[in-house]
Amino acid sequence: MSDIKSILEKSEGLSGYRVTESATKSYELFFVHKKLETVRSTDTVASDVTVYVEHDGSVGDATFHLYRSMTDEDIAAKIREATARARLVFNKPYELAPEGTLEAKLPTDLDKFAPEELGRMIADAVFTADTIPGGSINALEIFIYKTDSRVINSRGVDKKQTVNRVMIEAIPTFTDEKQSVELYEDYRFTKFEPEKITAEISAKLKQAADRVKAEKLPEGRTINVVLLPEEIESLIWELAWDCNYQTIYSHANLHTAGDDLQHGDGDKLTITMKSVVEGSERASFFDDDGATLKDTTVIKDGIVAESFGSIRFGQYLGVEDPSGALGCIRVEPGTLTDAKLQSEPYIECVSMSGIQVDPYNDYIGGEIRLAYLHDGNKVVPLTGISMSAKLSEVLGSLELHEKTEVRGAYDGPVKLLMKNVTVL
Amino acid sequence: MPFSKYLDSMRGDCRSLVEELGKSFDYVSILGTDVRSTAYRADKNMSVIRDSEGECGFVIKMHSGRSFYEYSCGDIRGDKKEFANKILESIKLSGPLTGRQIETAEVSDVPMKKDFVRETDFADFSDETLLDFCKEVSKALCEKDEKVLNGIGIVSPYSVSKLFITKNRELSQCYGWANAYALVIYNDGKMVEARHTEGSDSLAEVMEKTRASIDEVIDLARHLVKATPIKPGVYDVITDSSITGLIAHEAFGHGVEMDQFVKDRALAKYFVGKYVASPITNMHDGAAATHSVASYFFDDDGVLAHDTQIIKDGVLVAGLSDLASATQLGTVPTGNGRRDNFSRKAYSRMTNTFFSPGTDKLEDMIASIKHGYMLFETNNGMEDPKNWQIQCTAEYGIEIVDGKLTENYVSPVVMSGSVPELLKSISMISDKFEVIGAGHCGKGYKEWVRVSDGGPNLKVRVKLG
Repeated sequence: MSDIKSILEKSEGLSGYRVTESATKSYELFFVHKKLETVRSTDTVASDVTVYVEHDGSVGDATFHLYRSMTDEDIAAKIREATARARLVFNKPYELAPEGTLEAKLPTDLDKFAPEELGRMIADAVFTADTIPGGSINALEIFIYKTDSRVINSRGVDKKQTVNRVMIEAIPTFTDEKQSVELYEDYRFTKFEPEKITAEISAKLKQAADRVKAEKLPEGRTINVVLLPEEIESLIWELAWDCNYQTIYSHANLHTAGDDLQHGDGDKLTITMKSVVEGSERASFFDDDGATLKDTTVIKDGIVAESFGSIRFGQYLGVEDPSGALGCIRVEPGTLTDAKLQSEPYIECVSMSGIQVDPYNDYIGGEIRLAYLHDGNKVVPLTGISMSAKLSEVLGSLELHEKTEVRGAYDGPVKLLMKNVTVL
Repeated sequence: MPFSKYLDSMRGDCRSLVEELGKSFDYVSILGTDVRSTAYRADKNMSVIRDSEGECGFVIKMHSGRSFYEYSCGDIRGDKKEFANKILESIKLSGPLTGRQIETAEVSDVPMKKDFVRETDFADFSDETLLDFCKEVSKALCEKDEKVLNGIGIVSPYSVSKLFITKNRELSQCYGWANAYALVIYNDGKMVEARHTEGSDSLAEVMEKTRASIDEVIDLARHLVKATPIKPGVYDVITDSSITGLIAHEAFGHGVEMDQFVKDRALAKYFVGKYVASPITNMHDGAAATHSVASYFFDDDGVLAHDTQIIKDGVLVAGLSDLASATQLGTVPTGNGRRDNFSRKAYSRMTNTFFSPGTDKLEDMIASIKHGYMLFETNNGMEDPKNWQIQCTAEYGIEIVDGKLTENYVSPVVMSGSVPELLKSISMISDKFEVIGAGHCGKGYKEWVRVSDGGPNLKVRVKLG
């Protein structure tokens, strides 16, 4: 980083620069059934250089990738090329992130273990769950990452952050005499808790076993549908992106501050974009601009409140103290309890092939690989069904569970109830 | 577009490292990548020039009859003995795992030395010309209609250089592809996005076709604002080439990626030689099967590009494999080993995937439908090769009533259901053929590679929601 800084500072014609760098070391294991197919290790650096040129009352910028293979001469040539490119770009002026230094590390215990030992212990924790007759883990991929990120700019930003994280991709499968079915498991963590891994995989294996017994709905019906955190997160991100500075600047936003998104008597959404959610691998103390991040409530009690996003687009919109590009999301809990949930029949979606949320077309829906129909004391596994509803109607009547959990970048209710959804 | 000077200069380093690691492994390969891509974009407010999905680095693959080992890094210069030791240290296994390793046949290392080049016209276009093109598209879209909130023009040339070296093999390839997009955000009581996508190895061609698409994009936006949700149900459907490709890709392409066979994750494994589709159906995949975005000369395992017929007259005849899966299955790799980038693992992946054309005329296909829809433009799709369920989303559909396309647009449209039911319902196939080279495909939810898909119009019966 010091080399590129010195070359940039010697370069002519620049009014500013920014360099981002992510140095990642990984250790990766790939299992086929319980056999080890591939062992991988990586030692890579991804780095981007952005040069800024003030010209003709505008600011132009251009970004290039910096590779380890580049010589000083190569880098100088890339800077000259980027400077010429920036002169072709006529954008509204904006200030880079102001001077600031930081050295942070997300809380973790993963760095206490040698990667090959951690890999083995994670594999053991996964395969410990493989105890159901007929069940198996047909594929398992373990990725152990340590990433050192750094941002510098010409105004004196120099911020560093270390993130240790693990991602597991597992395919729990269940086979009986008639068929074999599988589900997909993507589990991420920053702290090694083998019993949690085993519990997570066990739950998915049990669901795979239920999928074998699952049936289609005999006929389409309108019914309450429960979403779990993975799908809730997708829905919430769609709502949040409408409040992003860049979305607003490019005129792609549907709503503005003060708009009521929830016409109905359901729980009101309060959504806060956050820099750090404890336990989330997406937590970050600064963004790619090196900007200090400010948690921002974008929807409060169902009403569009503040916007969020990068300092550049914040400045374009005249925001006095832009939030920075926040990567985590917090949703406040609601009033839904397990007891209340049982009062009417509902379908709980535990595995979807991907939820489709289209605010432009007022649509929410998707194909459901495994769900449970709860009808009184009866619980029936369902598969091969799809659901669809008007997004505006869902938002008006939704109910949020009183309990919360962290999953991915999401910290919020463990369940979201959508009323009167068409399920086929 | 010349082959990467940097990779060319690294041939000796690669050979030396292969030789050094060859002291520890029976098979060692090195793939060097130097991929350059620049995105040019303009809308009514701003413009952008930036490197997009480039990469430059190496992945070293090692094998001695048990597990495969890989090491990815940005540079391999320096003392090779020291570097080889660093690699061996970084891929070491915890003791108990050594007993869990697979056992496979040796990897064949057939001698070959060849340099492949496919020329492009990228050098004919300056940064200024390409950014001006984007500004021109943006301006043209914005000036067409006062209801246009924003018009966006994008063009992105993508140049690939790859070097593959083993003890017996030295291959290089150099090719390019360009995509351009015209996209409009339009509000007439309801806000919609409409777009046109082009792909070719000729920048001149994609720019010309994108310029010519402006009226079409605006017309589509005007229709989409009036689009209504579709009434869920099972319908007779005609697909455009994009949706045909989506079906090929999601319904069956993922299901014949043979690393899924190894993991018992694909039902297709048990259907080789059996009818899986209507007898008029033929389907191919391969980097050498047609000319599009995934038309490379050799894959990321150094296997030459193939044209693999997957379905022949409705019968499943072959799958797609990378080196590791073929080695475990005892088959010959089909040139489908692809990586997201040099730092990621190679998997069995699709390339250019399409249904072959038939003999029907599109107008006859539409005329054969009493009530149904013609579906257009891929939005996204998700596979389920184990259980043969699909979900594909089309951007929009046009209602067909009494054998004629109407002015009634529906959007979005989600096709879902059982793969065999869908493929066996194919009753007519048009004589038109188009492959759309602008897609990206993930494996599960990661490992993105560029793919194309397409084919003729199909008449199918499917659940829409």
